[in-house]
Amino acid sequence: MRLKSPSAPPLQALPLRLRRAMLCVAVGCLVLLLRLWYLQILEGDRYFTLSTNNRLRVRAVEAPRGFILDRHGEALVENRPTFDLYATPEDVVSPAEAAMVLAGILRMAPAEVEAKLAEGRARPYQPILLRKDLDETMMVAVEERRLDLPGINLRVRPVRAYPSGGIAANLLGYVSEVNQAQLQREEYRDFRPGEYLGQSGVERRFDAFIRGVDGGEQVEVDARGRALRLVSRTEPRSGANIILTIDRKIQEAAEAAFAGKKGSVIAMNPTTGEILALVSRPSYDPNLFAQRISGEEWQKIAGDPGHPLQNRAFQAQYPPGSIFKLIVAIAGLESGALTPETKFHCPGQFYLGNVKFDDWKKGGHGTLDLRGAIVNSCNVYFYQAGLRVGIDEIVRVSRAFGLGEPPGLGLGDEAKGNLPNPQPRRRGQPNWSAGNTVVTSIGQGLVVTSPMQLLSMVSAIANGGTIYRPWVVKKIVSLSGEALEEYEPEPIRQVGVKPETLAFIRQAMLGVVEGGTGARAKVPGVLIGGKTGTAQVVKKGEEKRQADWKDHGWFVSFAPMDNPQLAVVVLVENGGFGGQVAAPVAKAVYEAAFGKQPTQQVARASTPPAKEAEEGD
Amino acid sequence: MFDRRLLTSFDWGFAATILGMAALGILTIYSGNTLATSAFRQTLYLRQVTWVCVGVGVLFLACTVSYRNLARFAYVIFGLSLCLLIVVLVLGKVGLGAQRWIRIGGFTFQPSEFTKLALIFFLARYFDDHREELHRPKVMLLPAGLTLLCALLVLKQPDLGTALLLVFIALAIMLLLGLHWRYLVPFAVGGGVLTPLLWAFLKDYQRRRILVFLNPDLDPLGASYHIAQSKIAVGSGGAFGKGWLAASQSQLNFLPMNHTDFLFAVLAEQWGFLGSLVVLLLYAYLITRGLQIARDSTDFFASVLAAGISAMLGIQVFINVAMVLGMLPVVGIPLPLLSYGGSSMVVTMLSLGLLLNIHMRRFMY
Repeated sequence: MRLKSPSAPPLQALPLRLRRAMLCVAVGCLVLLLRLWYLQILEGDRYFTLSTNNRLRVRAVEAPRGFILDRHGEALVENRPTFDLYATPEDVVSPAEAAMVLAGILRMAPAEVEAKLAEGRARPYQPILLRKDLDETMMVAVEERRLDLPGINLRVRPVRAYPSGGIAANLLGYVSEVNQAQLQREEYRDFRPGEYLGQSGVERRFDAFIRGVDGGEQVEVDARGRALRLVSRTEPRSGANIILTIDRKIQEAAEAAFAGKKGSVIAMNPTTGEILALVSRPSYDPNLFAQRISGEEWQKIAGDPGHPLQNRAFQAQYPPGSIFKLIVAIAGLESGALTPETKFHCPGQFYLGNVKFDDWKKGGHGTLDLRGAIVNSCNVYFYQAGLRVGIDEIVRVSRAFGLGEPPGLGLGDEAKGNLPNPQPRRRGQPNWSAGNTVVTSIGQGLVVTSPMQLLSMVSAIANGGTIYRPWVVKKIVSLSGEALEEYEPEPIRQVGVKPETLAFIRQAMLGVVEGGTGARAKVPGVLIGGKTGTAQVVKKGEEKRQADWKDHGWFVSFAPMDNPQLAVVVLVENGGFGGQVAAPVAKAVYEAAFGKQPTQQVARASTPPAKEAEEGD
Repeated sequence: MFDRRLLTSFDWGFAATILGMAALGILTIYSGNTLATSAFRQTLYLRQVTWVCVGVGVLFLACTVSYRNLARFAYVIFGLSLCLLIVVLVLGKVGLGAQRWIRIGGFTFQPSEFTKLALIFFLARYFDDHREELHRPKVMLLPAGLTLLCALLVLKQPDLGTALLLVFIALAIMLLLGLHWRYLVPFAVGGGVLTPLLWAFLKDYQRRRILVFLNPDLDPLGASYHIAQSKIAVGSGGAFGKGWLAASQSQLNFLPMNHTDFLFAVLAEQWGFLGSLVVLLLYAYLITRGLQIARDSTDFFASVLAAGISAMLGIQVFINVAMVLGMLPVVGIPLPLLSYGGSSMVVTMLSLGLLLNIHMRRFMY
C-alpha cells in the first residue's frame, strides 16, 4: 500500500485520549511512589536492619572461665588450651591430597577424612570441625605440614583442667554444655546452645562469677558467606577466680585415707565454719565432662547405683548411731536428769518389759558413770539414761544443735535429716512408746542425720556452743586482683547449753580417743576429742547377709583439746565398726593438718589396743 | 537539505535529560559492582560507556533523516523483525537459560528489543493507512493478530516480559485510537479461558516466579529470595539513601542482576526515596514530553508513532520498577536508558531519537 500523504488526526479522538494517557502516566507514577513510600519511609528502618543482618555475622569469642584455688592459692580447677582441627572447604585446594596427609597424622582412614571434607561442600566458607583436642604430636605434625595443607587450620579453645586429679570432684562440681531442658527455661534464656556452664557444686553456684563475659566479633560477609573484613571486636572478659576455704594438703590426705571406701569425710574449722576438706565417694572423673561427654559415659555415671554425682557430705543421711549418745548426755545434764555421777549398770542387755535390748559388748560393761559410758559407748547405760531424760528433752536439744534442718551450705539440695516427733499423732497411728525412746537413745530408729549436720554439732561442742553456717568459698577475685566478694563466718544460732556441760562432754570425748573406742584416731602430740558410732542398717544379725547391709561406721572429732582448730567427721558406708574403719581416716587427716608424720596403719601390733576383742558401739 | 529551523526546534532539554540519565546509568552500574568478584562485573560500566556512546550516535543519527522516509518501509521493517525472531529461535545463542541473542561479529544483540519498535512502526503505518476506518472495530483484528504472533514468537524464546510488553503496547495504541474498552471484554474472557493453555507454554521458572509473587513465602531461598533481597535493598535506602558506593546489599552480591533488571534497586538503595522520586519524575518527563509531541504533531502517522513510543517507555518503566518493588512477578525487563545492555540502549535511543525527529519536523507536515 502506498504511503498516504500526511493529514491531521481525527480531531476529537486523539487529543482527548492523549490527555487520558497523560493522566495514566501520573497515576502510574503515584502508584510507584506510594509503594516506594511504604518500603523506604514506613518500613525503611526494618529493611535497614535486614540489610545489616544480611551482611554482618556475629561470632562469639569465648571468655575463659575463672580458676578455683584452695585457701593457699593452689589451683584445684583451671583451664588448659585445647586444639581443634578445622577445614574451610573453599580453601582446601585438593581434598584428596589433604585427606592423605591428614589421615597419616590423625591416624584415621583417608576415606573418612575425605568424607568429612565433603560434608562441608554445601557451605564452602563455613569451617568444619575435623578433629577435637589434638595431642601434642599431632599438633606439631600439622604445623610442620602447614604448607601442604591449605585451608586446614588449628583453633585454640580453653577447656577445664584438674591439676590435682579429680579431688573434691563432688564439691567443685563439673562443667558441661547447657542441655536441651535447660535451654527451655527462663533463667537460661541468654545461653546459646553449645555454651558451657557449671552444672553442680561450686562451679554451678558461682557460675555467674566464674564464667566471665564472652566477647564477640562482627564480620562482614557477602552473599556466599565469605568473610570480607572484621568490622569490630569486643574482647572477652575472663571470669573471676574463686578462692576456697579448702586446704589442698588436708584434702589430699583425706582422699588418700579414704581410698576404696564409700561415704564421706569433712574437715571444718569449728570456730568459723570454714570447710578445709570434703570428700564424697564414690565419685567421678570431671575430665570426662570437660570435652563433650559421650552418651554412654554419661549413662554410666548417671545410672551408677552408687550415685557418684551425689555429694554424700550433705545430701545423704544415715542413722547417727552412738554419736547421738552425746545429745542424750547433753540433754540429761541440761535438764538435771543426769549428772556426771549418774551410774547405771550394764550387764550386756536391758529389758524393757519383755523386750530385750542388747549391748554390743557381750557380758556388758559393768557399772559406769556418764563419762565412762561415753568413753566405752555403752548402749545399756544410754537405754536407761534416755528413758530418764525423756524423748522431749532429747528432741529439743537435737534441734538446738541444728539436727533436722539443712545446714545451709548453698551448694545444692541438702538432706534435712529427721528427728522423731513424739507429739500426739494422727488418729490411727500408735503413740510414742518407751521402746521408741530406748532405740532413739542410741541413735537408731527414726533419727537420721547427714555427716555435715553431725559435724556442725561437734563443732558447736568444741567451740563452746555456736553453730556456724558451713562455708566453702572464701573470696572471689577478679583477674585484675580486685576482690569482688569476701565472705565471713556466719554464726547461725547459739545452742544455749551451759558451758560446764560442754566442757564435760569435751573431756569425755578426749577419753574416747585416749583409751576408749576411738583409740585408732590417736595422734602422738595432739589431743583429740572424738566419738565413734556404728549405725545399723538392718536388723542385727542380718547384716552378714549382704555387703550393703553391713553397718555404717561413724567418727566425729575435734582437735586440739585446749583450742580446737579442726573438727572432722568420717562416715564409712557399710564399713562396719566406726572405731575400726572411720577413726583411722580421721587420724590421717589430723596428721596432715598438724604436720605430723603419717604413721602406718599397723594392725593390732604397736599401739596398745583398746578392748580390741570386741569393738564397736 | 538542512533547514536551520531544524536546529531551533530541536528540544535540547529533552536531549539533555536523555544524556543525563544515560550517564546516571553508567554511574549506578559502576557503584553497584565495585566489590564484585569477577573482572567481568567490575568492568561492566566501561562496556556500558561504549553502549551509551553508540546510543548517542544512534540518537543523533535518528534525527538526521526525516522519519517519513522510514515510514515508507514500515511494513518491510516489521517483516524483517519477524524473520529475525524466527532466526533467533532456530540459531540463537543461549544465555541465562533463554535463547534471546544472536551473535554477529564480536557482539550479541537481542532481536526482541527491536521487535518492540518494529511493531510500533507497523501499527503506526497500518493505522495511518486505515485512518478512515478507525471507528470500525474490525480494523483492529489484523494488528491484534500480528501482535499476538509476535508475542508468541518472543514467548517461545522464552521471554515472558517482552511478550507481555508487546501486547500491552499494541493495546495502548489501540485504546488511544478510540477502541472502546468494551471490545476488550471478549479478549479478557478469551484470555481467561486460554490461561491454562498459556500456563502450559510457560517454563518452570516462569511459573515459579508467578507463584512466588502470589505467595512470597513459598520459596525463601530461591525465587522469593530475589524479590525479598530487592525489597530489602530498596527499603534500606530510607529517605535519603545510603550514599554513593554504599549500597551494600547490591555490592555484596545479595541482589542478583543488579546491573540489568534490578538496577533500580541499586539506585533506590543509594539515593533513597528522594533519589527514586527524582528518577521517576525524569522518566515521567520523558514520557509526557513524548505524548505532547504526539499531540502537537499534525501528521497522523507521527502521532501514533510518538504515542506508541511513549507507551512503550511508560509501560516498560512501570513494569520494571513495580517488579523491583515487589508489586509484580519477576519478569525479565530492563530499565530503559539505565540498565546495562547494548540492544536495550540502542533501541531506546533510537526511539527517543525518533521522538526528537518528529518534534523537529512538526512544522513540515
